[in-house]
Amino acid sequence: MKKIASFLIVILLIPVLLRAEQNYLEVIAQGSKQLPLAIAPAISLGGGQDGEIAGTVGEVLKFDLTLAGPFSVISGTSGAGQSGIRPGEFDMAPWRAIGAAYLIKSGYIASGGTITVEFRLYDVARGKALAAKRYTGSRKEMRRMAHSFSDETMLAVTGEKGPFTGRIAFVSRASGNKEISVMDYDGHNVQRLTRNRSINLNPDISPDAGQIIFTSYKRGNPDLYRTPISGGSVARISSRIGMNFTGAWSPDGNKIALSMSKDGNPEIYKIGTDGKLLARLTKNDAIDISPSWSPDGSKIAFVSDRLGSPQIFIMNADGSGVHRLTRSGTYNVNPSWSPKGDRILYSRLHPGGFQIHSISPDGSDDTQLTTQGRNENPRWSPDGRFITFGSNRGGKEAIYVMRADGSSQIKVSRSGGGDSQPVWSSRR
Amino acid sequence: MNRTMNRLFITLFCLTFIAAGCAKKEMVKSEEPVTELPKAVETAPPSKTPSDLKEQVIPETSAVKEESLDEMTIESVPATQLKTVYFDFDSYVLSADARDTLKKNAEWILKNKAVKVQVQGHCDERGSAEYNLALGENRAKSVIKYLQALGIQQERLVVLSFGKEKPVDMGHDEAAWAKNRRADFALIK
Repeated sequence: MKKIASFLIVILLIPVLLRAEQNYLEVIAQGSKQLPLAIAPAISLGGGQDGEIAGTVGEVLKFDLTLAGPFSVISGTSGAGQSGIRPGEFDMAPWRAIGAAYLIKSGYIASGGTITVEFRLYDVARGKALAAKRYTGSRKEMRRMAHSFSDETMLAVTGEKGPFTGRIAFVSRASGNKEISVMDYDGHNVQRLTRNRSINLNPDISPDAGQIIFTSYKRGNPDLYRTPISGGSVARISSRIGMNFTGAWSPDGNKIALSMSKDGNPEIYKIGTDGKLLARLTKNDAIDISPSWSPDGSKIAFVSDRLGSPQIFIMNADGSGVHRLTRSGTYNVNPSWSPKGDRILYSRLHPGGFQIHSISPDGSDDTQLTTQGRNENPRWSPDGRFITFGSNRGGKEAIYVMRADGSSQIKVSRSGGGDSQPVWSSRR
Repeated sequence: MNRTMNRLFITLFCLTFIAAGCAKKEMVKSEEPVTELPKAVETAPPSKTPSDLKEQVIPETSAVKEESLDEMTIESVPATQLKTVYFDFDSYVLSADARDTLKKNAEWILKNKAVKVQVQGHCDERGSAEYNLALGENRAKSVIKYLQALGIQQERLVVLSFGKEKPVDMGHDEAAWAKNRRADFALIK
């Protein structure tokens, strides 16, 4: 009975939910019923076969959409309707026969250093294309084109784009020193942003994904710097005496919340993106660090040990209305407020090391999301459906991603270790 | 469970009928030759090459000033004449041993009137990187307060915290941690 019921629900849901797209993902997440999505091998649309494009496009789509949540990705579909990607150019029946609810077809043309990749997302039952995109660029942009269509697929099916074209900035020890690097969210295309052989920490990315702030010891003192995410000039924006650290861009991109010890001990301040002091938000003898803004910019979660041990607190963005958020655990740090405003991630020190927790901003529903190894510095994807974090579960520090409910935890770092403190940018 | 299921069924059936008007039309449509969607040509960012992206870099606002490097860089050398002091876990309280060491350090600093001393606070690997930066600063400040009490002028003492970023022992046991919870001394050039 149950099985038939599940089957019927899926069948019945398809027409209903395609109409009420906004609610679709939530329904799937709660029932854990994933819809089969087939990814057809990319075909040449002229100019000859190119195994690299076909392989890369398929691999990226599979990785993104497997992590995504609403889908169970069907692989091994060779033989089914290889010809053509446009409606009417191929037979939908074999895809229906293998039970696919969705189908992604793609094709490419390579000429010199330039490639064009074209994608179609189909609703298999109705034989209807839900999304169609064509991308043209250099070969190096191959992965980004596929990530971009993964974002579009999420839009077509759930009503909101995916975060898969976003990048992750992080602290890398690949060179022996802690430098700031940036990579695609899936660990590819790593680029180093700093080369000062000093200590560089706590990157945060501006809401428009254009700039990164971080703390560096490059001139002796832990000062706050800003640099474009694509590399280039580095500007020092706060070098006040003592520490200038755990900087966090405001959601509107106009301000930075920053902990500074210039007045005796670490307090949280608001500064302009040029470094100008705007306001002091905390004032007490304790340590106040790690601010994280609510998405509407009206509140800030932060870490304070004013009651003895580090705990997460929330205050209004003008410093008023301070109250404690976490009530269990003796050592809670690294708050990260979700882009939808409904959850706050943090790291709690358990006997074996840090684990990632998710809590409602009203203090209810505290849920532990990780158990394997030590896990810390959680940050949301820009759409709030995923989380990136640092973990040592594989023996070495690496960047991982997972869904917001803690499922599907997967390592994305491709380095030999020493990657930490990730932050996920908005999509490009 | 069954009741939930039934309710879900009823809801779904209703929704299906509500949706039926449109769904029916689309079903008929799919029998016809499928027409191509208007060609979507993505001319926006996804097709840009990395070199294009570089050209889009947001220029630094003129309000951001790069201060003179010479003027602002703090350079120091380890002070071999001054001994390291150690702390208990999650504490910046000076032990009796630490105070004895600091008394000897103070004598040397008082004799060498030209030197400016940087006190560098460190932590063991437990705890978060961020919180340890703050704790390391508290350790360095405890040391400086005590040195001031011993007669050294505040202007000759500078605080720097490295948190858990510069362990002297890379081990993961109490012996290693005890060596890493410390305040080191350096002379500012």
